[in-house]
Amino acid sequence: MTALALRFGPFAARLETSFAPLIAGLRLLYPPRAFAEESGFCDFRVAVAPGRGAHRWFRPQARFLLDGESPFKPLPADQALPMFEWGLNFAIAAQAHQYLVVHAAAIERGGRVAILPGAPGAGKSTLTAALVRRGWRLLSDELALIRPADRRVVPLARPVNLKNASIALMRGYAPDAVFSAETHDTAKGTVALMRAPDESMARSDEAAPVGWIVFPRWQPDAPPRLEPWSRAAGLMEIAHNAMNYSLHGAAGFALLADIFAASGCYRFTYGNLDDAVAAFAALASGAES
Amino acid sequence: MTRQGARRIGAFVQWREWNGEIVAYNDRTGDTHHFADLAAWMFRLLATRAASEDAIAAAAASEIELPAAIDRAAAIARTLDLFARLDLIEAA
Repeated sequence: MTALALRFGPFAARLETSFAPLIAGLRLLYPPRAFAEESGFCDFRVAVAPGRGAHRWFRPQARFLLDGESPFKPLPADQALPMFEWGLNFAIAAQAHQYLVVHAAAIERGGRVAILPGAPGAGKSTLTAALVRRGWRLLSDELALIRPADRRVVPLARPVNLKNASIALMRGYAPDAVFSAETHDTAKGTVALMRAPDESMARSDEAAPVGWIVFPRWQPDAPPRLEPWSRAAGLMEIAHNAMNYSLHGAAGFALLADIFAASGCYRFTYGNLDDAVAAFAALASGAES
Repeated sequence: MTRQGARRIGAFVQWREWNGEIVAYNDRTGDTHHFADLAAWMFRLLATRAASEDAIAAAAASEIELPAAIDRAAAIARTLDLFARLDLIEAA
């Protein structure tokens, strides 16, 4: 059994596991400074443990445990690494209510954050992976943490979750990036994790204000199109994508309303990554704002 | 609440407006709503002053254009019913 503490963004998790490939995967995907003193304070107490029952003899399984409880069904043992990452997302969404937690990517350039909400299949993670390999700072791939006190997005740089065709696409687009081994036959298909750029990980204490909210949609062969969109409609979408909006009540609404009042709201359709990177560069430079 | 009595948006409703569209948060229900067109115009009117259905109709006649196919009085009545169902309005 290995026990370690992993720091990511404003959080630390204490992990216990007997799965050596999981530890090796984390060592590959997180920088050495992310591994902290195991005895220090941790926000989340998690374990990835072997499955129980007959399964363990003919098809080993892994169970994710948060505070000793298993919120998910066990998965095949070879899915322990993505399961751990998904489990951390669950833990943050379930417990980090000091933030408004939005299901969205967040990237920063020039001191302003672009929030990228995205329905499954919209290409959010692929677009995020490409942008952070082309000069944008990764704040989050999956969960944007908005701090109510100052309306800033708090970094939560962790590996980027890639699925299916996006994996080969990103391997070609960022050949010097570090990727985990591919895990096949998950609920999301084949998945792999791309390590966050070191600069993003190093700046994990630099929160930044929102400059843009961009709703991306990938369409095969579509020309890039970044068009202003209704702030009211955008706020409704973000509210639906926030994991704990209802818990924040009126303060959560006021927080989102203030952010939308101060930010550009866009819909973005794209068909290839080079076009998308160019469009976002224009956005950051003010050419589209 | 009678249909002819003056009504207004409750003080428990927070709202913002951008480009003629409104988002409103109802602190009683915890729901967030999005209104456009006639509903946004009526919401803004009732958020700034109390008005009866007749007063809304009179103001609408001079302030807002609707497609010819729309029965203005019926649309106003439907929108007031919607606001009532969403628990957004109260008697003045």
